[in-house]
Amino acid sequence: MDTIKEIKANGFSPLFDKTNMLYKEFPSDFRQIRYFTLLIVQSAPPEIKELNLLEQQISEIIKNAVKHGNRSDQTKKVHVWYHFSPNEARLIVEDEGDGFKDLEKWNEFNRKRLDCLRDQNFEQLGDYVSFRTDRSDDYDGGNALFAALEYWNEGFIYNDARNGVAMKKTFPRRRHGIVIEEAGE
Amino acid sequence: MELKIRKNGETYIIDVTGEMDLYNSYKLKELVMKMLEKKVERFIVNLQGVDYIDSSGIGALIYICSTIKKMNLKLSISNIHGSVKKVIELTKLMGYFPISATIEEALKKMGA
Repeated sequence: MDTIKEIKANGFSPLFDKTNMLYKEFPSDFRQIRYFTLLIVQSAPPEIKELNLLEQQISEIIKNAVKHGNRSDQTKKVHVWYHFSPNEARLIVEDEGDGFKDLEKWNEFNRKRLDCLRDQNFEQLGDYVSFRTDRSDDYDGGNALFAALEYWNEGFIYNDARNGVAMKKTFPRRRHGIVIEEAGE
Repeated sequence: MELKIRKNGETYIIDVTGEMDLYNSYKLKELVMKMLEKKVERFIVNLQGVDYIDSSGIGALIYICSTIKKMNLKLSISNIHGSVKKVIELTKLMGYFPISATIEEALKKMGA
């Protein structure tokens, strides 16, 4: 699959198909983000957890929903649909906020970041390593979505209201812990 | 997350242990700022003992890196491994951070 350069919004994406997915919902309690994440990830097969990388990537999405989507308002919920198998991880997270208004600005910022990386311009890259909005504070790294676009290799997409995000990652098939390459690869 | 400081010549090594996450990464930033106030000029942030880092942890490293760079001081981040290395790779910051494989390599690069 080609490298994904931007985040799009399309509520009709098949990534938003919730069929056969498990569901949990959580209050927007900032202190429990990692605990909520563990409740989701505990059902994932060990071979896709990649130490704690799956957990870490999911925690970023839940944190965004809690902190930025629902502004840590505990009366608002975060809705999570998830499906794990030895070969794939799928996640849909929806908050009850007013949506990621700066999605276009984020894409423009990311394009500039990628341009600096392509040109090996590490001096200017310093201006594009952390995306800030008026909702960001000193505890925000501003880099979670850069990693998410790379990690979720089968797609990472917002719904039309931009308060929900769906993603999928496939993992190489393994037999006895050995990656199996397809014939012709 | 635990932070310990030791010294090798004029270089201060911050040994970080545990998880650098959204709840505690600010502590590393605060420590480095305090050390800068005390005129420390050479830093090694040793992540040998770190097995988890999230965007807040990466953000703390970015802040430390850019602050020290603006002050023309010296920094190296050493012993990244496992999912910590993977997260830095995903954010494409391997070329941005001053990374060394080991403390010894970091000391050598600093001319210590």
